[in-house]
Amino acid sequence: MAKVAVRLNEITREFFDGKQIRMVLKKTNLDIYTREFTVIAGPSGSGKTTLLTIIGLILTPTSGRIMIDDKDVAHRSEDELAAMRMKKFGFVFQNADLITALSVAQNVLVPTAIQGAPVSAESKRAMEEILAQFGLASYAYAMPQQLSAGQRQRVAIARAMINAPILLLCDEPTSALDIESSTTVLDTLKRLSQDENRGVVMVTHDPRVFPYADRMIKLEDGEVIDDSKSGGEEKHEE
Amino acid sequence: MRRLVAIKILLHDGATTAGAVLGVVAIIFLVGQQLTVFFGLLNFMSAIVDHSGADAWIVSKKTDNINAAGSLPIRYADRIMGLHEVEWAEPVLSVGGLVKRKDGRFQPVQVIGLARPRLAGGPWRFSEGSIGALLDYEGLTVDQLDLRVFGNPEKDDILEVSERRVRIAGITKNIRGFGGTLVFTNLNKAREISRVPADRCSNILIRFKPETEIHQGVLKLKKMLPQAEVILTESLSAQTRLYYLKNTGIGSSFGFSTIIGILVGIVIIMLTMYTNILNRQKDFAVLRALGARKRDIAIVVFYQALFIALIGIFIGFLLLALFLSGTRDSRLPSYMFSWVPPAHGFFTIVLCLLGSLLAMRKATRIQPASAFR
Ligand SMILES: Nc1ncnc2c1ncn2[C@@H]1O[C@H](COP(=O)(O)OP(=O)(O)O)[C@@H](O)[C@H]1O
Ligand SMILES: [Mg+2]
Repeated sequence: MAKVAVRLNEITREFFDGKQIRMVLKKTNLDIYTREFTVIAGPSGSGKTTLLTIIGLILTPTSGRIMIDDKDVAHRSEDELAAMRMKKFGFVFQNADLITALSVAQNVLVPTAIQGAPVSAESKRAMEEILAQFGLASYAYAMPQQLSAGQRQRVAIARAMINAPILLLCDEPTSALDIESSTTVLDTLKRLSQDENRGVVMVTHDPRVFPYADRMIKLEDGEVIDDSKSGGEEKHEE
Repeated sequence: MRRLVAIKILLHDGATTAGAVLGVVAIIFLVGQQLTVFFGLLNFMSAIVDHSGADAWIVSKKTDNINAAGSLPIRYADRIMGLHEVEWAEPVLSVGGLVKRKDGRFQPVQVIGLARPRLAGGPWRFSEGSIGALLDYEGLTVDQLDLRVFGNPEKDDILEVSERRVRIAGITKNIRGFGGTLVFTNLNKAREISRVPADRCSNILIRFKPETEIHQGVLKLKKMLPQAEVILTESLSAQTRLYYLKNTGIGSSFGFSTIIGILVGIVIIMLTMYTNILNRQKDFAVLRALGARKRDIAIVVFYQALFIALIGIFIGFLLLALFLSGTRDSRLPSYMFSWVPPAHGFFTIVLCLLGSLLAMRKATRIQPASAFR
C-alpha cells in the first residue's frame, strides 16, 4: 500500500530578491506518496527546486505546515531537521555533486557517519550491496573524477539510498547526462520507486522523463497548475 | 567520517593546504628562532654571574647590572673570610682593556681578573687548556668565537692588552658576555692593565659553608657591610637581565619581531583556510543537505586546522633544529629552555585554531539549500 510520506499544508515561500519580497511558492497543498514516481515539471524559475527543498526539509517555508508521521516539523530546530533529512530522505543533485576528495565507497557512506558516529560494519555491508546492485562494485575505491557522468549519478543515487530513505528527492538528475546514461538513471529510479516504503520525487523540465511518471505535478510561477496521475486508476488510500 | 572528510579535502587541495602549513612553519621557525637568539642573549647578559659558583655577591651600592658595578675595598674579602659561615670569599676585578692585534689594530675587551689560587668566577668551558693556565702571571684566556677579532692568534702566542704583555694560556669555548668579548686573567694582571689601585676590586664572590642557611648568611653580611650591597647570585642574574631588557630596547625589539612572526603566520593561516572553504562551498552545502549539522561542519574545519598545525609544527621544528645545529658554535647567541618547544608548539596550535575561526564561521554559514544552486 502506498503511504503519505510528506504532507504539505498551506505552504508558501517568499524570497527577497534585493528590491522586493517575492512569493516564489504560492499557497500549496500536496501529499507525496511512497510507491510512486512523482515528477515536478515546469519552466525554469517556476519554483520547482524551492518546492523540492521544502519537501526535503532543507528550505524552511515562510508559512504552512510540513507533516511527517502526522507531526508538523516545519519549525523544528536546524539540528532536528538535519537529523530527519539524514534518516528520511535521500538527495540526488543535478551534477551528482559527489565529494571529489572522497572515494566512491566513502561518498556512499557519508550520510551514515557525518554526524560523528563511526562507520558500522553494517553500513559497510549495505554500501557494498548497493554498489553491487548498481553495477558499481568494482568502482568502490575509484575517485569520482575517474567515473563517467552517468556512473557518478548512479553513485549519487547509491549515496541517497544508504539510509533506506522514505523519499528520494532528485533535482534534474538527468539534465547533464546523455540519452543512454539518462535512461539507465531513470530506469534505476523508477525501479526504486516501486516499493511501498519508498517514493521518488523528481524535479525536471526534461520531457524524456515524463513517460516514467506515475504522477505529474506541473508548476508555473509558483503555483501548481496541474496534478495528474497516469495509468488512470486511483491507487492512493485516502 | 568527519576527520576523514577533513583530511581528505586537505590532501585533495594540496596547494592551499601547503600554504596554510607554511603559515604554521613561519610561526614555529621565525618565532622559535627569535626566542633562541633572545634566550641566548639573556644568557650572555648574566653569563659570568650564572657560572660563578658563588652563593652571593658583594657589589657596590646601587648596582643594578653586574657589568656596571663600582668598586669595593678588597679588605672586605678578608673580613668576610673570617666568618665561620663562609667557605670562601674571593675578589674579582672587571675592567676594560684594549687588545693589540698582530696587525696593529685594537680590539676592546672586558678583562676579568681572578684571585689566585682559587680563581673563583673563572671561565667554565675550554676548547684548549684549562683554568689552571691563569695561575701563570701572564696567563690570559680568550674565547674561540673571538679568535677572529683578535687576528687569529694561537695558544701560547703573546699579545698586548692595554700595553701589558699577556700570553694566551687557554682558549675558552663559547663564553661571551653581553658586551661582547670576555677575556680572563688573574687579579694582578688585571690591575696592571687597568691601573686600578691594589686595594680595590669590582665585586666579591661568596660561597657559604654547606651547613649555613644562605639567607641567614646574607643577612649577617648585610649588617656587617652596610656600605655595600649583598645580593644572592640568582637575584643579581635576574637584575642584570632585567636591566638590559629595560634599558637597551632588546626586549621590545625581540617582542616586536616575535609578534610580526606570529601575525604573518596567523594571517597566512587565516587566508588560506578561508580560501580553502570558499573553493569547497558546494561540498559543505552537500554535506549539510545530507544531514551534517553546523557543529559537524565546525568539527571538520577544526580537524583541518589541527592537521595543518601538526604538520606545520613538525616541519617547523625540523627546520629549527637544522638551523640551530647549523649555527651551533657560531657567534650567534642561541639557547632554548627545554620547556619552550612544547609551550611554543601548544601556543601555535591555539593560534592555528584561532586562525581557522574565520574559515569556520564561513563554513558553518553555508546553507544546505545552496547545494541545489
Ligand atoms: N535564495 C534565493 N534568494 C532569492 N531568490 C531566490 C532564491 N532561491 C530561488 N529564488 C527565486 O525563486 C524563483 C524560483 O526558483 P527555483 O525554485 O530555483 O526555480 P526552478 O527550480 O523551477 O528553476 C526564481 O525566480 C529564483 O530566482
Ligand atoms: Mg531548479
